[in-house]
Amino acid sequence: MGNEASWDWNTDLKEIPVEEWKERFNWVEDFQISPDGESVASIVNVDETAFQVCVNGEVWDNAYEKIWGLKALPDNGFSALVYDGEEWTLARDGEEWSGRFDFIWDFQVTPDGKYLGLAFQKDSEYGMVVNDLPWDQTYTNMAGMTLSDTGTSAAVVQAAPMKAADVDSFKEGLFSVALNGTAFDHTFLNIWDLSFDATGRRLAWGVRLNREAYTVARDDIVWDRTFQGVWKPVFLTPENVLAPVRESGKWKLFRDNEPFWKRGYDQLWKITLSPAKGDIAAVVADSFGKWTVAVNDRTWDLTCDTMISDIFYSADGSCLAAVFKHKGLWNLSVNQTPWTLFADKIFTPGISPDGSLVAVVIEKQGKYHLAVNNRIIAGDYDFLTAPVFSPDQSKILVKGIEKGIYKRRILSV
Amino acid sequence: MNENDAEIIEEATDEAVEKGLERLTSERISEVINQVLHKETGARFKAYVDTCMRCGLCSDACSYFLSNDRDPRFSPAAKVKQTIWEMLDKKGKVSKDFLRRAVHIAHLECNVCRRCSMYCPFGIDMAYMMLLVRRICHKLEITPQYIQDTVNSHSVTMNQMWVKEDEWIDTLQWQEEDGREEFEDLRIPLDKQGADIMYSVIAPEPKFQAGLIYQAAVIMHAAGMNWTMPSRPGWDNSNMAMFTGDNEISGRIARTFFETAAKLNVKRIVMGECGHAFRSTYDVGNRQLAWTMAPIEVVHAIEFYHELLTAGRITIKEKFSKKVTLHDPCNVSRGRGLHDMARKIVAMTCSDFVEMTPNREHNLCCGAGGGVINCGPPYKKERMRNNRAKAEQLAATGAEVLIAPCHNCHSGLEDIIHHYNLNMEVKFLGDVLFETMEKKIYRPGE
Ligand code: SF4
Ligand code: SF4
Ligand code: SF4
Repeated sequence: MGNEASWDWNTDLKEIPVEEWKERFNWVEDFQISPDGESVASIVNVDETAFQVCVNGEVWDNAYEKIWGLKALPDNGFSALVYDGEEWTLARDGEEWSGRFDFIWDFQVTPDGKYLGLAFQKDSEYGMVVNDLPWDQTYTNMAGMTLSDTGTSAAVVQAAPMKAADVDSFKEGLFSVALNGTAFDHTFLNIWDLSFDATGRRLAWGVRLNREAYTVARDDIVWDRTFQGVWKPVFLTPENVLAPVRESGKWKLFRDNEPFWKRGYDQLWKITLSPAKGDIAAVVADSFGKWTVAVNDRTWDLTCDTMISDIFYSADGSCLAAVFKHKGLWNLSVNQTPWTLFADKIFTPGISPDGSLVAVVIEKQGKYHLAVNNRIIAGDYDFLTAPVFSPDQSKILVKGIEKGIYKRRILSV
Repeated sequence: MNENDAEIIEEATDEAVEKGLERLTSERISEVINQVLHKETGARFKAYVDTCMRCGLCSDACSYFLSNDRDPRFSPAAKVKQTIWEMLDKKGKVSKDFLRRAVHIAHLECNVCRRCSMYCPFGIDMAYMMLLVRRICHKLEITPQYIQDTVNSHSVTMNQMWVKEDEWIDTLQWQEEDGREEFEDLRIPLDKQGADIMYSVIAPEPKFQAGLIYQAAVIMHAAGMNWTMPSRPGWDNSNMAMFTGDNEISGRIARTFFETAAKLNVKRIVMGECGHAFRSTYDVGNRQLAWTMAPIEVVHAIEFYHELLTAGRITIKEKFSKKVTLHDPCNVSRGRGLHDMARKIVAMTCSDFVEMTPNREHNLCCGAGGGVINCGPPYKKERMRNNRAKAEQLAATGAEVLIAPCHNCHSGLEDIIHHYNLNMEVKFLGDVLFETMEKKIYRPGE
């Protein structure tokens, strides 16, 4: 993204009727909408075993036996995983990759849209493929596929064979991390949560060394200390790694093998950084069943009995929003102030770069609404997707479906 | 007691247990036992240990005791006496032979069904005590092989049966295609953001019983539900780590499960007919993570079918006419009180129903749950012997069809029926619903 300035911020309303697609095709699947809101797409069934992708009413040239995983891309195009003649490949705006596979899945895209990554299986061997370039080496098993923001790829791979129910071989540690297809030397009992640094060259992950000892590895080098548990590590700088670890029954934040935050929590996960301000936030349980957000080891004044599903910083770090569920209903808390949404569902919030505006799509009793700074500004849609603020923050792009018509609206905020 | 029993009990040698025992030193044994019993327990454990009067009132509650001619060694209190009390008395300094027996008692002679605690005047939870023994076995690395393999699988793949990620999706797509025989536009929507329901299953479904996914898809489609299934790990709601005392992996499984649902922004999770997975998601796995309850509502298939039938979303074409009986799985009945709801579904779908006795929360366990069946083939004969009381209970019903809304129960009961030559067919509630429902799409107001 980042080219929002070139989008049409002046036309109040553009409409594309989609209800009639249902007449044209046997069935229409779930709608995907491009970031700029100019295109709406869906997988459609055109014949008994023939599927196509329909974008703004025009179908891609080729029909396929199967299509799934349709995604809107940051460049406002669409990609999907397509199957024909017993082979899978990826099609981007109707153009197929040259690579053919027995199966592909876990479709990931970098934020700038330059790299598209997939997991593949070919002849029962596993690997990743990025921009049509498959890994040279493949493995008998693979998990935790991760595409970095710069297009490098990594996964947990099985480095040695294991027979069925072979608990002895398993105990020896069979798994390694492969970066761009090449496995590191060490094998571990378990590896989880691969985490790249911003350059996509360094990697950290959580490991289990034996039944009881958990720790962190950075570029295949493990921390000296071991713990009762570990969650996803995060690069604080290219040299420093943070990770929540469990010690003496409490979860603590460690940096490079040393305690970093002073407090211990009943739970501590989802480390989220604000590079602009250098703040570190996490979702924590202060005590059993009492959820809140901790920023630099100080907890928010927030009452949450159920779950905090995610936290998000604005680009300038001035705004931190938490999506939380209390007494069975979803809500948003922005810089410690809870909103009054009380929704059945709440989607990923969008925050303006200066942190002054927060927009979020919610669902209440089957209808979608858009709230900005705790005020519902558009509502009663059958479907709404993530809104976008204009670069000058005076407008918001609303993309949704209402009574069978896709509507691209520009509203002032 | 039958003279051969002692031999039979020890006959199954389990490589993982034997190799694990070989590796142990006496220091390690006492260190682990003392750590678990003194550092990982609290007031509840102390109360149980101090309160039990060894009165034996709980003995007749245990189907192992009943199936073994009331052999006192199988009474719940005796199981604790032979394990925890001795460990406490000896301050953890116990022998390898003692541990071999302790593994066996905790994993094969108690299926943590909690029936005994209903009969104890103090409500002592023997299942909790046996799970503590399993926790010790886990740390000592002497857990039986086959169940350990399921936990290994969970830890790597987040599913219980080493189902590969592509196999999972491929199976769903194949079931979707087959389902189009019923409804030409049937879908199993993958990763549908903002669906109302995430449907989740246990790993044996894609591995061996894919037809159950097909049935569920037909039911969802006919009922007009806005639903989805995840393509990524987090789809398996089972949790074998909960039964081996690997609490850390158990928590990781539960986290993956609930975060998968949260990422899809669903309102609730509907799960297939599985008892232990239900227990894991509403009671055990969530607590390990500091969630007092399931952070996203988990609806068991029994509750879901009941909802669809009473709301008229599914209608019955013709009731099932064979004589049926119903097995109440402990984890959904004793654990969650869904037994009357299950009976209502049976009443709506079947015309000839006979109760088994005892029933509802007093039902005898299938003898397979709690991880017992997952200890695998080496222990099958023994499991059959320990299931005699259940076999007698089943035979007394005279039913042709046994409905068991729980996967473990289902497999365990099939073994019992085969072993004791009972002429019965086992079905899930979903099987009955699928067979009797009208295959038409619900439209509000019609
Ligand atoms: S929990 Fe169940 S199997 Fe275990 S001792 Fe009690 S009644 Fe017997
Ligand atoms: S657990 Fe309860 S019923 Fe059983 S022996 Fe102890 S006190 Fe008696
Ligand atoms: S398998 Fe079924 S009856 Fe058996 S312990 Fe589980 S829920 Fe109980």
